[in-house]
Amino acid sequence: MSKENKKIIKEATIATTEQITRKYFFKECFSGIGAMALGSMLQGCDWLGNKDSFNNFTNTNPLMARAPHFIGKAKSVIYLHMAGAPSQLELFDYKPDLLKLDGQDCPQSLLEGKKFAFIRGVPKMLGPQAVFKQRGQSGAWISDNLPHLATVADEISFLKAVQTDQFNHGPAQLLMHTGSPRLGRPSIGSWVTYGLGSENNNLPGFVVLTSGGNNPDAGKSVWGNGFLPSVYQGVQCRNEGDPVLFLKDPAGMDRDVRKASIDAINEANQLTYNEFQDPEIIARMAQYEMAFKMQISVPDVMNINDEPEYIQEMYGTTPGKASFANNVLLARKLVEKGVRFVQLFDWGWDSHGTDGSTAIDIGFINKCRNIDKPITALLLDLKQRGLLDETLVVWGGEFGRTPMQENRDGKTMPFKGRDHHTEAFTTWMAGGGIKQGSSFGETDEIGYSAISGKVTAYDMQATILNQLGFDHEKLTYASQGRQFRLTDVHGRVINEIIA
Amino acid sequence: MDSIINFIGHFHPLLVHLPIGILLFAILIHWLAQKEKYVLFKNIVPFSYLIGAGSAIVTCISGLALSTNVEYDTQTLFYHQWLGIFLALVSLLGVYFTKKNKARELKWAAITLLVLIFLTGHFGGTLTHGADYLTKGLKSKKATKARPNFSNVQEAILFEDIIQPILEEKCYGCHSDIKQKGKLRLDSKEWILKGGEDGLVFHQGSALNSPLYKKIILDPLDEKHMPPKGKPQITEKERVLIEWWINSGGYFDKKVKDLAQPGNIQMVLANFEKNSPKALNNDVPTNEIKLANQASLNNLTKMGVTILQVAKNSNYLTANFINVVKTNDTIDNLIKTVSPNIVWLKMPGIMFSNSLANAISYCDSLTKLSIEHSTITDNQLSNFQNLKRLHYLNLVGTKISLKGLLQLKSLVNINELYLGQTSITNKDAALIQKTFPKAKIIFGNYHTENIASDTIVLKVASKK
Repeated sequence: MSKENKKIIKEATIATTEQITRKYFFKECFSGIGAMALGSMLQGCDWLGNKDSFNNFTNTNPLMARAPHFIGKAKSVIYLHMAGAPSQLELFDYKPDLLKLDGQDCPQSLLEGKKFAFIRGVPKMLGPQAVFKQRGQSGAWISDNLPHLATVADEISFLKAVQTDQFNHGPAQLLMHTGSPRLGRPSIGSWVTYGLGSENNNLPGFVVLTSGGNNPDAGKSVWGNGFLPSVYQGVQCRNEGDPVLFLKDPAGMDRDVRKASIDAINEANQLTYNEFQDPEIIARMAQYEMAFKMQISVPDVMNINDEPEYIQEMYGTTPGKASFANNVLLARKLVEKGVRFVQLFDWGWDSHGTDGSTAIDIGFINKCRNIDKPITALLLDLKQRGLLDETLVVWGGEFGRTPMQENRDGKTMPFKGRDHHTEAFTTWMAGGGIKQGSSFGETDEIGYSAISGKVTAYDMQATILNQLGFDHEKLTYASQGRQFRLTDVHGRVINEIIA
Repeated sequence: MDSIINFIGHFHPLLVHLPIGILLFAILIHWLAQKEKYVLFKNIVPFSYLIGAGSAIVTCISGLALSTNVEYDTQTLFYHQWLGIFLALVSLLGVYFTKKNKARELKWAAITLLVLIFLTGHFGGTLTHGADYLTKGLKSKKATKARPNFSNVQEAILFEDIIQPILEEKCYGCHSDIKQKGKLRLDSKEWILKGGEDGLVFHQGSALNSPLYKKIILDPLDEKHMPPKGKPQITEKERVLIEWWINSGGYFDKKVKDLAQPGNIQMVLANFEKNSPKALNNDVPTNEIKLANQASLNNLTKMGVTILQVAKNSNYLTANFINVVKTNDTIDNLIKTVSPNIVWLKMPGIMFSNSLANAISYCDSLTKLSIEHSTITDNQLSNFQNLKRLHYLNLVGTKISLKGLLQLKSLVNINELYLGQTSITNKDAALIQKTFPKAKIIFGNYHTENIASDTIVLKVASKK
């Protein structure tokens, strides 16, 4: 080998090893790691960190009640989520022009560049499958599918032009409740509990109730705590039988012994916490305490049988059976007891028209009948108890449904159904300082796209937080090196519907 | 041709730095060369001036090219342009003097150049960065102090005291007496109403129809977004205020208190009076109050009462007795010690004692009292005659009689009165309404109709 070649090989070897030696690594990474270290050291400094940020986690009592940023109108929220996405075109968004187009081919202009979950090729338009009337003083359009709700139209503010960018249930539900279509962010109930704590020492601040036979498609992440300490996650109660299992102490174990054993466990936990400072240990301790207290409080709160006959009738409850009506009545009881956020999920609104239960003129109507009376009763009951002003009721799905009839795989379907639609759908809010009998946002003459007053999930979240007294930009939590918030970099408070 | 001129013009911001640097360097060399130690520098003085003069001429040409197609404040441009040309001429003169070895003249040329470089540079900077660019750093501390800060923001005139300072900070640089880009001025009511070269910019009552607002909310990358890219942007709070100002009528003379204020507006407005935290909600009095005794609050918390500030910026308190079944003398006395601060009291289902009723009667800031399902008697209720601020009273499910309720006739501010599940029914509605003229009286007893379809479950029609 020539001398020159040797030299070249030597140089090449040095060049390669330079990239992998320890010293080289430190040399190259010095500034980067140094800057990262400096960043985390300075994070605690006021002049770099956000002075107004709202780190609310306290080690002593993570569920302690706390004051919001400003005086909020609402003290608690009942969020009624119709999982599967109900059709706005058969409930609130009346489109007589769509009826004229019924059965005609969908114009190409509506299909070009669009993606649908199931629609392929050229679908037919599907006119409204319900009779609409204007209701109350406000003249809100509500279909005959919700005859009870129609009587309380004047309590409600409709958002007619809600938009999302997710056309699958899971991601869309996550976006609605956690501000991100991907897993891992805290849900709105967790944020609220983190911000406000719980007024009732004996009940969790965030309770979840499900009905309709299934959990929402996004799974339990829609009420998860994400990176917030897990003490703020939603507590799901069972929808049938005992709402919470194992409330009774086992035979031979009296309450004092139970208390002593929890105290001993928590003492050990405290020692571990002192050593490792892991907030999850605090969460675990708080949950032991909470479970102990819930043994007393839950049987009382969760028992709807104690409610008088006329209340049961008003809601249309069926004690002992899993039902949406039972959950709604429970929600009222919980809010009355100081629970901050009650999240109801009712499954079964995915009206594709693949069979009778998802047909827009069969199963969908049954679903409507299931929720109509309870929701109406909830608004009336909160009102007569003087609670509607301080309880924000939110109703909605994760997206809307198409003005076209679904043609799964390009074939005609046996039943009338609609596909997932992201560009315009209706949600509503009532109580909690929201305007009575108003409507914001408009869709075009066939309800395909929003033409004014567009709002997003972020805007709804910002509005909910605003009603509770939070600046959605300041309710933050530091995780992985930055301050996170529910609305990420988005969100506008929908002033148009605030009283 | 235009595009070539345009292209050359765009080199001006780059080229300007050459004559500044080279000429300053030439002057420095020239000055040092007079000292014995640096006497050799003499040899490069002529060359330095020559290069400096050359670059000054090139810069002048590019500057003239730039001035043909960019809108600048004409007066500043005039000074900048002619001072620049004069500078180039003087630098040529300097070259001439070096060639002829005229030391005295060269010295004066150097001094003149120094002054000209400073002046031309300053006017150039003013053209691109605005008149206050240089001194902004000095002023910034003062500016935050001078930012409107009211003892009571409700008394402020919305446009003059709140909106105009925003426009002044973010818009006047190009839309006022200094410059009128797009023929638009925003520095007075008349100018705002007049609009610019594209017509009206302002529609009272509709922010979304007002280009003044619409350009703010355009995508920041949009060419028409205002303020332009690179200039200080309108913050979210400022945007909300401008939106609110236009939507609530776009008045130039109305005071804040004359306009309806949604919750987030209250929050933003509250920032204007940071030094005097004040609650801006009908449910909370607006006058200031001292912090409640912390020891009493801690003790109440220990006794199971959830008592806390109504908001972070307020010293008023809300107390929730949901964890308390029955109060004792200790609690009742503690309530008295913090009574001036309490505005909301929530005591659903509480066992009432005379001493509790007495303690509540001290809470003269109280606006909301929820004692539904409690054991309060007519007699105990009579304690509340002096709670003049009370405007929400919830007596649902109590034993209060009509006679008991009418004892409170002095509480004329009550505007929400809940009487469901009591012996009081709506046959006395007229009398109660007369006693509490402002009140919305809710007797409850709501129910939902039974509709036949409620229980019908639709099924798929069987095929025949």
